[in-house]
Amino acid sequence: MLWRGSVNRPPTPEAEDGRQDQHLSLQEIINIKLVESGEKERLKELLRERLIECGWRDEMKELCRSFVRKKGKNNVTVEDLINVITPKGRASVPDSVKAELLQHIRSFLGSAAL
Amino acid sequence: MSLPNDKNGNMSFNSQLSAHLFSDLLDSIIVDVASECHRTARLGLDCNLEIEEEELRLSAEARARLSDPSNGGDVNGKYIVDIFGQTHPPVANDIFECMNCGQSIMAGRFAPHLEKCMGKGRKARLKARRSSRLAQNRYARGSYVSSHSQYSSTSQLSNDTSDTTGEGYSNGAYEDP
Repeated sequence: MLWRGSVNRPPTPEAEDGRQDQHLSLQEIINIKLVESGEKERLKELLRERLIECGWRDEMKELCRSFVRKKGKNNVTVEDLINVITPKGRASVPDSVKAELLQHIRSFLGSAAL
Repeated sequence: MSLPNDKNGNMSFNSQLSAHLFSDLLDSIIVDVASECHRTARLGLDCNLEIEEEELRLSAEARARLSDPSNGGDVNGKYIVDIFGQTHPPVANDIFECMNCGQSIMAGRFAPHLEKCMGKGRKARLKARRSSRLAQNRYARGSYVSSHSQYSSTSQLSNDTSDTTGEGYSNGAYEDP
């Protein structure tokens, strides 16, 4: 994990001392904040909506369908389908969608008083 | 996002973190799509899938029947019967008039005829070029008498596609101001 180095930094003035006692990594702290504030769910919904709009979801479903056709519908597991979609799925997210989500994430990080 | 110390380190940490969070979101959506497709497939809810499989099967059967010589049902002499029971000859034999040259042409032979007729082929292009050069010759002859013989001989020799070089300005015969 590349950001371990930052955990060893001297604490910032606004450090949340309560949390630090529990020795949670910074990333875990942020994740908790993300979920607690409901922001994670909102971001996920936003991403899902954008991916539907741009046809990404249909592409993925088509990949699944052709895999199912080849393998036979009763021989397919969820793992199989995840392995089928993941490489193409990660690569084919439109740049604009990615940029929009990253912008939201960054502004959340900024407002989360790191 | 201004923090007291080590701003550069923070920026890259921030972007790593953002990228990681984005991947998390994307992966969870991928899992959603995969599990939904899995469910659809297993329950046979995707009727398109059934229809496609059926069509593939039927077309494979039809192809097998066609290549099977002992079957007399679908095939009628040397023509194949389509789903409406019609037969079509291998070469379309409707006859009509070519709009370029006015000849009577058979529909199945129309494309090759047009190639020759409208100048796609080598011969037709030479034919067109020669006739347009002759026309330009006639025009040029009146104004520039001295260089006419030079001009007409070089135009016959040159083999390029552009017509303007045939006009002779590249000859150096005329001096342009």
